[in-house]
Amino acid sequence: MGYERAVSEKPEPVAPPSSNARGDLVWRNWSGIQHSYPELRVAPKSEDELANILRAAQAPIRAVGAGHSFMPLVPTDGTLMTLDNIAGVTGVDANGIATVWAGTRLGDLGPALASKGRAMANLPDINKQSLGGALGTATHGTGKHLRAIHGEVVGLRLATAKGEIVECSADNNPDLFNAARVSLGSLGIITQAKLRTTTNKRLHRRVWLEDFDETVSKAEERWKQHRNYEFYAIPFTGLAANITHDETDEPARPRGPDTDTGFLEMLKSVRNLMSSSTGMRKATAKFLLKTFGTPEEAVDEGWKLLSTDRPVRFNEMEFHMPADAQLSALKEVVAAIEQHRPDVFFPIETRRIATDDAWLSPFQGGEHGSVAVHAYYKDDYDFFFTLIEPIFRRHGGRPHWGKLNNLKRQDFASLYPRWNDFVALRREMDPEGRLMNSYLKGIMA
Amino acid sequence: MRRVFVVLCAGLLLAGCGKTKPTPEELAKLKPADPALASLYEHSCKACHAVDGSGAPLVHDHDAWDARWQKGLPTLTEHAITGFQAMPAGGQCSACTREDYEKLIRFMADEDKH
Repeated sequence: MGYERAVSEKPEPVAPPSSNARGDLVWRNWSGIQHSYPELRVAPKSEDELANILRAAQAPIRAVGAGHSFMPLVPTDGTLMTLDNIAGVTGVDANGIATVWAGTRLGDLGPALASKGRAMANLPDINKQSLGGALGTATHGTGKHLRAIHGEVVGLRLATAKGEIVECSADNNPDLFNAARVSLGSLGIITQAKLRTTTNKRLHRRVWLEDFDETVSKAEERWKQHRNYEFYAIPFTGLAANITHDETDEPARPRGPDTDTGFLEMLKSVRNLMSSSTGMRKATAKFLLKTFGTPEEAVDEGWKLLSTDRPVRFNEMEFHMPADAQLSALKEVVAAIEQHRPDVFFPIETRRIATDDAWLSPFQGGEHGSVAVHAYYKDDYDFFFTLIEPIFRRHGGRPHWGKLNNLKRQDFASLYPRWNDFVALRREMDPEGRLMNSYLKGIMA
Repeated sequence: MRRVFVVLCAGLLLAGCGKTKPTPEELAKLKPADPALASLYEHSCKACHAVDGSGAPLVHDHDAWDARWQKGLPTLTEHAITGFQAMPAGGQCSACTREDYEKLIRFMADEDKH
C-alpha cells in the first residue's frame, strides 16, 4: 500500500540534531515534523524593540507563537522572534472592545478578560496559541453563528519589515486591515489587536456518544439549535462523540479530569490488536466505548470549557468546505479511511464557522464547515495528501493555513478572489521579502 | 516509655527533613530566583511542570526528578531541546539558549543550589 502499517506502538521518530555546526539550537514545531536552526532568537519586550529588530535583523524574520502549526510557516535560518514578552490585556472600553498584545496566549486571555467580566466570543479546540499566531492562521472554534478569532478583530497594529508601526481598521487603511487580519506574518508582525468581546457567561457543556449515521442526520439541526456544536467521527467504531455548549444560569459544576487521553489510548490499543479485522475492531471498540464512555456534563465560564488540553501529539490536515458540502466530504473521508487506512485511530473533528470578509479567510463567501483528520505523531501521515486532500478539494475546500496541505500558488489564487491583491500588497509592504521563508516565497513571493 | 518518646521525636524530626511533593499552591509560586530565567520559566516550562496531572515531572518533586537526574544534565538538556515523549521540542521556550535549558532543568530538579 506504500505506507508502513502501524500495528503496534512505533518508536519515537528520530529527532534532528539539537544544534547545527554553527551551534544554533534546533527549533521544532509541536508535532516534530518541521524544524530549522535559526541563527538568532529574539524576545523583544516592547513594540519599539520589536520594530528596531525588524529594521536590522537577519532575514528571514519569522514570528513563532506556540509552534502548533504543521505547515512550515515558522522555519527560518535567520531570525526567530517570540512575542512572549509583549503580552497582556491593556484595557476593555465601554463597548467591550479589548486591546490585547499579540503575544498573549489564548489560555491567559480567558482569565484576563474574565477578571473584567468579558470573554472571547468563541475559542478554538486548544488554547495554547498566541493571539498573533491564531490571527495569522485563521484559527477558529465551532458555532454556526460564531466567526473565527480574526472575525472579531476591529483594529490592528502591525510592525512592518521596515520597522514602522502601522495601525489599521475598517475606517483606517481598510485594505491593509482586510489583508492583515489573516496574513501568515507576511505583511508584518501583528503586535496588538482590538477584539470584540462578549459578557462572560456560564455555559452548559454536554458530551455524549451516538451512532455516526444518527449524528450526521441530526448535525444541521444541532448547529441551528446550539451556541456551539461539533462532533468527532470515530473511525472503525461506527460512533461519533457529540459536544454542545449553551448559555445557562445554572450554578457551576466544573469539568472533571481529562478523559480524552485515556480514550485515545483505548482506541490505539484496539487498533494495535485488531487492525487486521475491521469487523472485529468495530465491534470491540463500539462495545468498549458504549460500556465505559460515560456522557459528560459540566457548567462553568465559557473560557474554562470551550478549549481542551491535548497532550497527545499528532499531525493534522483540516479543510474548510462550503457548509452544504461538508457532511458529504466527511462521509467520503470516513469511508476512505475505513477502506484503506486501518492504522488510523484518531477521531475526525467536524465544526461549523460563520463567514467573514478577510482577504485570506478560508470562511469568506458564506458559512463553512471544517473537517479535520489526525494521525498519531508516530504514525505515517502521507495519506493526508494522497487519500484525503483530493476529497476535500473536490468538495470546494480551502485548507487551514497552519495545517498540512499540498496546495500551490495557483491553487490559492483560484480559491481566494483577492489573492492577487494580497500578493501585490505584500510586495509593497516587504519588497525585499525579509519576512518570507522558503514556503511563503513559494506561494506568495 | 522515655526511650519510645525519644524514638518518636527522632522519627518526626526525620520526617520533617524528608523531601515531599509540593502542594498545588507551592507549585504555582515556585520560580527561579533570577528574574530573566523566571520569565522564561513562566512562559514555558511552568505550563506543564507546575500542573499536577499533566504527566510532566513536577518542579521540585524529588520522587519524579531524582531518577531522571541520574541520566545526567546533558541528556536532560537534549531531551528539552529536541523534545521527548509528551514534551514538545523546546518545551515551548522559543527564546531559550542551551544554558537557559540547563539552568531551568537544574531549577525544576531542585539541583540548582549545588
